[in-house]
Amino acid sequence: MTATITTGAAARSPHAADGSRVFLRQTWAMSKRSILAIARQPALVAPSLIFPLFFAALGASSFSKATNLPGFPKVDSFLSFALAGSIVQGVLFGSVTGGAALAIDIEDGFFDRLLASPTSRVGILLGRLAGAAAFGAFQALFFTLVLIPFGVRIASGPVGLAVIVASGGITGIAIGGFTAALALKTGSSEAVQGSFPLLFVAMFFSSAFFPRQTMQGVYRRIADLNPISYLVEGIRGLIVDGFDTVYVAQAIVVPIAIGVASIALALRMLSSRLAAR
Amino acid sequence: MIASASQKSPIVARGLVRHFGDVKAVDGVDLEVHAGEIFGFLGPNGAGKSTTVRMLTTLLKPTAGTATVAGFDVVKQADSVRRSIGVALQDAAIDPLMTGNELLELQSVLYGIPAGSVRQRADELLERVGLTAAADRRVGTYSGGMRRRLDLALSLIHQPTVLFLDEPTTGLDPMSRITLWEEVRRLNSEGTTVLLTTQYLEEADQLADRVAIIDHGVIVQQGTPTELKAAVGAPTLLITVSASQAEQATSTLSRFGELRPTAEGSLGVGLVGGARQVTDVVRALDEAGVSVHHLELNEPSLDDVFAEATGHRLEGAGASSSNDDDVSPAAEDGSEPTRGRRGRRRSR
Amino acid sequence: MTTIVNSAGPSRPVSGGSFDHTSAPGGTVLRSSAGLAIRGLRSIRRLPSAFIPALMMPIVQAIAFSGTFFAITKIPGFPTDRSINWYLPLACCMGAGFSGIGIGFSTIRDLETGFFDRLRMAPTPTASLILGPLFGAWIRMMIVVTSVLAVGFAIGARLTGGVLGIVNLYIAGFGVATVASGWALGLAYRLKDMRAAALMQLTFFNAIFLTNAQAPLFVMSGWLHTIARVNPFTNILRLARTGFLGTVTWDDTWGGLVAIAGMGAAAMYFAWRGLRELGN
Repeated sequence: MTATITTGAAARSPHAADGSRVFLRQTWAMSKRSILAIARQPALVAPSLIFPLFFAALGASSFSKATNLPGFPKVDSFLSFALAGSIVQGVLFGSVTGGAALAIDIEDGFFDRLLASPTSRVGILLGRLAGAAAFGAFQALFFTLVLIPFGVRIASGPVGLAVIVASGGITGIAIGGFTAALALKTGSSEAVQGSFPLLFVAMFFSSAFFPRQTMQGVYRRIADLNPISYLVEGIRGLIVDGFDTVYVAQAIVVPIAIGVASIALALRMLSSRLAAR
Repeated sequence: MIASASQKSPIVARGLVRHFGDVKAVDGVDLEVHAGEIFGFLGPNGAGKSTTVRMLTTLLKPTAGTATVAGFDVVKQADSVRRSIGVALQDAAIDPLMTGNELLELQSVLYGIPAGSVRQRADELLERVGLTAAADRRVGTYSGGMRRRLDLALSLIHQPTVLFLDEPTTGLDPMSRITLWEEVRRLNSEGTTVLLTTQYLEEADQLADRVAIIDHGVIVQQGTPTELKAAVGAPTLLITVSASQAEQATSTLSRFGELRPTAEGSLGVGLVGGARQVTDVVRALDEAGVSVHHLELNEPSLDDVFAEATGHRLEGAGASSSNDDDVSPAAEDGSEPTRGRRGRRRSR
Repeated sequence: MTTIVNSAGPSRPVSGGSFDHTSAPGGTVLRSSAGLAIRGLRSIRRLPSAFIPALMMPIVQAIAFSGTFFAITKIPGFPTDRSINWYLPLACCMGAGFSGIGIGFSTIRDLETGFFDRLRMAPTPTASLILGPLFGAWIRMMIVVTSVLAVGFAIGARLTGGVLGIVNLYIAGFGVATVASGWALGLAYRLKDMRAAALMQLTFFNAIFLTNAQAPLFVMSGWLHTIARVNPFTNILRLARTGFLGTVTWDDTWGGLVAIAGMGAAAMYFAWRGLRELGN
């Protein structure tokens, strides 16, 4: 790391309290921008809401008989099993869109304009990620509410649902950190979009679509090592099994850990982009 | 019979119309291009040049009207038309992933050139347009001028009798433009009939035997450049004065001849008495207390022809959007209904 | 129009000209199509970023599906004990479909750059503008299906239906590539921009998944079972799988052949109509 990241106006402010207030205001302004961007371009985010539901519906019809297989957790329906995977899949889709939006800011020069203003550099990034968090939480709630009329029950109740929604938000930040890092590194929206298949493969090599316990060989070992498996299983436990601190820990701690790593990476990419200017 | 008619006029259009929804891109074009001539089709962007060419080259079906090219109907005998014409379209649409040689080979195949003579034909054409050295490079690495020359070579693969060039030099540097002009002249001297669209007056003046001026989808003037310029008559005196004195200057100038449309910021008058009258004009302006910043006397040009026909200038047309309506004193003085104003009324 | 009149001859005397004006004979369907197919193949080498994802996607799909849904073969009555045997033909058909959609993409590019105008102006039969890209799609399909098969065998697929099974798989590949090509070209000619690209991907993706793609019909329930039963792609997938689920039977074969003939003809007609109407 060659460049130091200052917090812009905040760093120059004589009073620390004022400084942090300015920082929060700027970050909030950036968050608002990225959230509004999502709300105003429904065509851009629609696939991240439709595709996971499509896959859930396909799976429910194709694999309804698979729920009796040895190794399959005890569930009411395949749909209840699939919901957790849909949430993570949707958040993944959405994060790619968010990362691509950042890359487009870089491509069309808006990012430079932000940097030229006395806005906090970290605020620019955190604002983006706050947008990803809001959308991730929304997706978790959206998928759950859509599937409830089809017989899905949240065994852990309203408190569990709150944890699931929070998990969606944190996962949004965690994956959004990676796509933001990629956007900052490459400055190309095409490259960010191109990362989607990679993330999708990462999901397939986990228990997102089918239980780990039914897999075998190398594939099983990769799924065992894949943090996405534990995240999905945490959320899934809250849906099909009930409230349990282990599930809560999985649903919350795993994305936080991923998030710490991805935000560190994104900050690093941000500082090298700043140093290259 | 068809063949004999087409020997005189390989391109004939009668009442050609093309609508896109409510937009009348071409609104009744009559054209007759004689064998062996270079015919210039002059007009600003969006005047209907390309749409007309697309209809004549079988790419677009007319909404109404008829046209024959090389003696064949462009709708009913499209395939025969295609065999007889060469076309270089605007923007030199060429696949950037292919090399010059590969494109010529593909073009040969599509035009049914016997496999045995493809190589020879391609080599001749590459040499003709000066691309022999670049033949195996991908077109993506070519300069704008090279692309246009390759485009021309592609359109010549079957040695067509009629050649359509749609804005062949738009965006080219002056040197590349002159090279292309020379090649067009050479082709024409070898007997190729050329229809060339352009928005450059100089290009039409330099190359064309006859010119048609199109504006808002209607042909407003047609003839040889010399005839058209002679019809305008008097040379144009252009002066530049400060805005506060414009009104005074206009009334002084109008005593010497008909006011002419100009680019924004200057005033123009057709000097009936020619160059000898310049001193009188200067004296009159001086007496009126008008101070002149700039003065020039221009022999009639195609731009004057265009301005007289349409009521606005082609050159610098993009510079001021108000050209059309404001800087047209001739059209406002009401002394003599000009052909141009009729044209404009028809087209709107 | 068989007579070609060398009409508009030069009216002024030509001296020293090297041009002997002729009327082009016009390209034949076969030669023109081959020329266009070769052009399509060159772009594989020159624009690998467009082809490699289309090659990798079905390979990854074959591995991912057979690994993730490894256990479905344990459902009583499942026609094979290897999940890769079930998912490998699906991946081949996906790859074949995206070979067709790939030529839809490059046609959109040609339409956007104007290169397609040059092709349309050539005195070659309209059919070659469709058949050329189609031949290109077939060759792409062969490359993709062969690669996916190789990977599939490497990770444990076992051929149970012999050479006839492989032949059926390639026939299914040709069929899906043809249907996808016609559909993609027809959409490209009509919409002329990248909207067509999104639409061709989405519709094909849906069409192939609303079948017995993931599980056999008898395992399915509800709405998907209803749709999959009437979706002709189900028959094509059944044809593609004949070599990997026991022995090849005529019962499992003919439905796929009929579906290919019907949908292929409809898709080609859709493309042909679109091309004819480009000038309007």
